[in-house]
Amino acid sequence: AEKFDNLEEHLEKFIENIRQLGIIVSDFQPSSQTGLNQKLKFMITGLQDIEKCRQQLHDINVPLEVFEYIDQGRNPQLYTKECLERALAKNEQVKGKIDTLTKFKSLLISELGKVFPEEMGKYKAIHGDDPPS
Amino acid sequence: MTEIFSSLYGQPDPQGPAGASALGFGPGKPQVPQNLGSMSFHHQMVDEGAQLRKPAAMNEPFYLLRVLPMENDLTGHTNLITHYNLEHAYNKFCGKKVKEKLSNFLPELPGMIDSPGIQDNSSLHSLIEKPPVCNNSFSPLTGAMLTGFRLHTGPLPEQYRLMHIQPPKKKNKHKHKHHRPQDPLPPETPSDSDHKKKKKKKDDDPDRKKKKKDKKKKKNRHSPDHPGMTGSQPSSSSLR
Repeated sequence: AEKFDNLEEHLEKFIENIRQLGIIVSDFQPSSQTGLNQKLKFMITGLQDIEKCRQQLHDINVPLEVFEYIDQGRNPQLYTKECLERALAKNEQVKGKIDTLTKFKSLLISELGKVFPEEMGKYKAIHGDDPPS
Repeated sequence: MTEIFSSLYGQPDPQGPAGASALGFGPGKPQVPQNLGSMSFHHQMVDEGAQLRKPAAMNEPFYLLRVLPMENDLTGHTNLITHYNLEHAYNKFCGKKVKEKLSNFLPELPGMIDSPGIQDNSSLHSLIEKPPVCNNSFSPLTGAMLTGFRLHTGPLPEQYRLMHIQPPKKKNKHKHKHHRPQDPLPPETPSDSDHKKKKKKKDDDPDRKKKKKDKKKKKNRHSPDHPGMTGSQPSSSSLR
């Protein structure tokens, strides 16, 4: 978390510098030239600081789908929310399939045992008794 | 076994070669005499498909009986959110309502960030598809380079002006106690200052008007020169 805080701090300073640069440029005065030069130099150093943070974050992976949310002007936390919701829904779906197939297996074995008792006896000897569903 | 195959693939032909081809095994393949029975036929199948079938399956009384796969402890049967300790995250994102706009996630970011990036060619997707060609390092600007940034005085044309949205003041909850740089900000643009002044005037005008009206009413009620808007209230100078 510290490496994120470091990057966040540098980014905030950089953005603030750019914002002030925009204010200077929007109504430029001759006396503002030195301030403008200072802001431009700080912009370069800001980029250098941000690049230094890159080394600490080389193992961080960001899914590309998040960028689509940002490009649309949407909150990227919605992506996290939708991922969790989809994961839970898929989890429930798979659990339902497992439960259904387990019940089917036990029913099938019981019915086959009634029709083919000898064969099912051999089958159970090979695979052992199935655990109760 | 041959009875099962004959029921699946049709009646066995007593002639031999023609019968084998009718079953789909091809004329080039070795012919099996019918009198040998199921064992030789079974053996032929092993020779043809040995690579496809596991030897263990053939030793058991049930044909094509596979060994069951190893049971995996973690399946969809378990609640994976609790397994990976994501309950807090789930309650945080799915329990509460997450706001739709990007500005709710980044309230301190200036500019119009809620508009799509495609409109002003500032999308991250375009940056990934076509990364800008630049040097490996950032070199500082020299004096000669800075001469290129000598600007003309005066305000920008309307078409190049951006909507400067002032970010809200940082709350005390913020971890870092660094405050905004104390550098004196340059004088704001006339348009911005006028806009603010106009806003202030607009906000104050109805309040001011009301206050003025109230004051006037009070004065009129208590003034001796007034003929008396409300006759019910006795004036202080009724006795003359």
